[in-house]
Amino acid sequence: MDPLASIKITFFQECEEQLAELETGLLTMKDGETDPETVNAVFRAVHSIKGGAGAFSLTELVRFAHVFETVLDEMRAGRLAPDGRILDVMLRAADVLADLVRAARDGGTVDEDRCQALIAELGALTGVQEAAVDDGFLDLDFAPITVSVDVGEEPEPAAAAGLEMAEGAPAAEKLVVAFRPRAALYAKANEPAVLLRELASLGRAEITLDASSLPQLDELEPEAAYLHWVATVETDDEAAIREVFDFVEGDCELSIARVPDDCEPVAARQPPVDEAETAGELDIKALIARATGGATQTAAAAQAAPAAQVISLRDHPARAPDMSARKEDGHAVAAASPTIRVDLERVDRLIDLVGELVINQAMLAQRVLESGLARSSGIAVGLDDLELLTREIQDSVMAIRAQPVKSVFQRMPRLVREVAHATGKQVRLVVEGEGTEVDKTVIERLTDPITHMIRNAIDHGLEPPERRIEVGKPAEGVVRLSALHRSGRIVIEVADDGGGINRTRVRQIAVDKGLISPDANLSDEETDNLIFMPGFSTAETISDISGRGVGMDVVRRSIQALGGRISIASRPGQGSTFTLSLPLTLAVLDGMVVSVGGQTFVLPITTVMETLQPKPTEVRRLEGSVPLLLVRDRYVPILDVGHRLGYRAGPIEPTEGVVLLVEGEDGRSAALLVESILGQRQVVIKSLEANYQRVPGIAAATILGDGRVALILDVDAVISGPTSEPALAETRLLAAG
Amino acid sequence: MQAATESQAETLKLRSVLDLTAAAPLKAEFGALRGRPVRVDASDVDRLGALCLQVLMSAHSTWTSDGVPFSLGGTSPGFEEGLDTLGASFLLFSIPRE
Repeated sequence: MDPLASIKITFFQECEEQLAELETGLLTMKDGETDPETVNAVFRAVHSIKGGAGAFSLTELVRFAHVFETVLDEMRAGRLAPDGRILDVMLRAADVLADLVRAARDGGTVDEDRCQALIAELGALTGVQEAAVDDGFLDLDFAPITVSVDVGEEPEPAAAAGLEMAEGAPAAEKLVVAFRPRAALYAKANEPAVLLRELASLGRAEITLDASSLPQLDELEPEAAYLHWVATVETDDEAAIREVFDFVEGDCELSIARVPDDCEPVAARQPPVDEAETAGELDIKALIARATGGATQTAAAAQAAPAAQVISLRDHPARAPDMSARKEDGHAVAAASPTIRVDLERVDRLIDLVGELVINQAMLAQRVLESGLARSSGIAVGLDDLELLTREIQDSVMAIRAQPVKSVFQRMPRLVREVAHATGKQVRLVVEGEGTEVDKTVIERLTDPITHMIRNAIDHGLEPPERRIEVGKPAEGVVRLSALHRSGRIVIEVADDGGGINRTRVRQIAVDKGLISPDANLSDEETDNLIFMPGFSTAETISDISGRGVGMDVVRRSIQALGGRISIASRPGQGSTFTLSLPLTLAVLDGMVVSVGGQTFVLPITTVMETLQPKPTEVRRLEGSVPLLLVRDRYVPILDVGHRLGYRAGPIEPTEGVVLLVEGEDGRSAALLVESILGQRQVVIKSLEANYQRVPGIAAATILGDGRVALILDVDAVISGPTSEPALAETRLLAAG
Repeated sequence: MQAATESQAETLKLRSVLDLTAAAPLKAEFGALRGRPVRVDASDVDRLGALCLQVLMSAHSTWTSDGVPFSLGGTSPGFEEGLDTLGASFLLFSIPRE
């Protein structure tokens, strides 16, 4: 990939993080927490985006961010109180900033009128109008080609070399030399290395290589000039520098500028923000230097220094250029937790390999077992250790890919604001459990379903304010978005306190559309579930809000594709709750291996509460129902897995097998009857859909230690269905006495 | 160039003087190895110039884009000094070492 494109991708990734921080900070402030730390975090987010955008000459983004930042700076200085009205403006400004970032990333345009209106609103808060925005910010350029710094004027926000003045800094003697050879320089047998070496002999020099123009090998002309340099030399002797380049003057672009000694790279410039606050700052210049094959280094220190600098660049790319300078100044530098960005593809590959390792380890263990070695033998003990280690490796690897759902949840406040505005409803979003972690591959596919559900909750769920007041509710409706771990899965709920599902209307629509027959006898739950039918839409007119009739069927399909399920609980007049249940990971699970109809199956162990062998006295039979098992004064339906899945023509006697008490995601329990339990082990999930096709009642497949394929049961699918309705069964039994 | 199969990678031994005239041959040497894992041996380099640095960096970038291993074997003081002078010492760390 083009190095510049690569670094731009990184910039936009970091922008998303900064935008999320920005929104979180503003919402926190709106909740009344306006401590300096929060305000500074918000400021920092906007400032970072501005700095990076400047490096890529994203002028509109820089302009807007600058106005926004000015307001935040006033707030930091205590000259502007963050009241509700101002924070509303700032939240809308954050939305526009996000639009500008995404427009810059994906192409397209933003609503110019909206943008200008926000600029005017922000300007009105500080008394700074747009015209006062210093266009100097727009001159930022990552390519160190020309230098134009004038120390005699007002502090200039930027110079083309990516350097800017620190406010109030005393002048010192440093010269910045931008050197761009032309091909003619080489053709005349001149060598930049010689020139740079001579330059370094004039004083301590920092040389930055810019390889951003370097093409791939196929396109490279061996004698063309692609590399450029910027050298900062500790000398005041401009004439001596010019003398170095005397012989190549016509064959290169050369500019020399005088700057004070504490000038910093643009993104490192921090108005009165302290050291700790700058830790997350984007330093696009450093990133560009790194990604395009450039680095800043001290030519005079020819031996040890480069290594240390490069390592620091690798470990702390955003901080490396200014850290050493600040250390020299004797300031404390906040220790940022070292992080690296790794391509997801690499992590996925690692997870796949560890999965194979787990399978191989299991196969090895099986062979050792089959060889008849004693459990106490050295090999068996060693294998146990290997299993523990394998498990630990797997957990660690999976943890790399686990992320909190916060990244998805953080997008929702804006959505709520926009949908509320479009529908004329008043909505408060309550978010809970955003720290709940789930595999990144799952997170990536959560955004669309959650977005759709929230739109639906506002558009269809919540009543208009006047209606709410009529029925004695607050004008402001509440949409609650929550996440939690339950039974080894992540459960996400979107609940509203609206009118609940209008079942009469839903049923009528289903009849009108021919989805059900007019005389269909449906329970409330079945009626509610009609909205998941393809093509069902309760909207009188197709609106932009609820997705042009795409409907909840798409949501359900996308959730099912993840091995998840979606359910509804609705109470008339009180609201509806949509519940998503998804696996935490799509890679591995701890399973109980059972024998069913001569086949080997795996049940996710998180669904198994208990295993037992039923005694005749514990089994009750009722006409029209499956057998029931008495477990601690409670009856649960016994479901013969082999029979239900069609592996056996008829059910076996419960007393002839083993039952596994399982709990579904909706909390209902059942006793799954199997022939025998073969063991318990961790299995690597292999997609059945990807390798074969979707099979009802089966979630996925795996490879066991003996090399055989085993199917992983979809417990919820197995226990769903009218004959397994525990509440119904219990009711019947209780009624029977 | 001495191309040899060592650990599945072809070794490209850099000349001792990588001046202006060495750039075109160096590009051709890399071009001949395109698509194959390469281990660059810089242990005999006395002098490194900008044009050859361009070729080396471009080759590294190309191999990386291709997803083909590209590594650096031995490096001489002259090679390291050349990288340092040209502001490219980071290559010692960004190119995998053997």
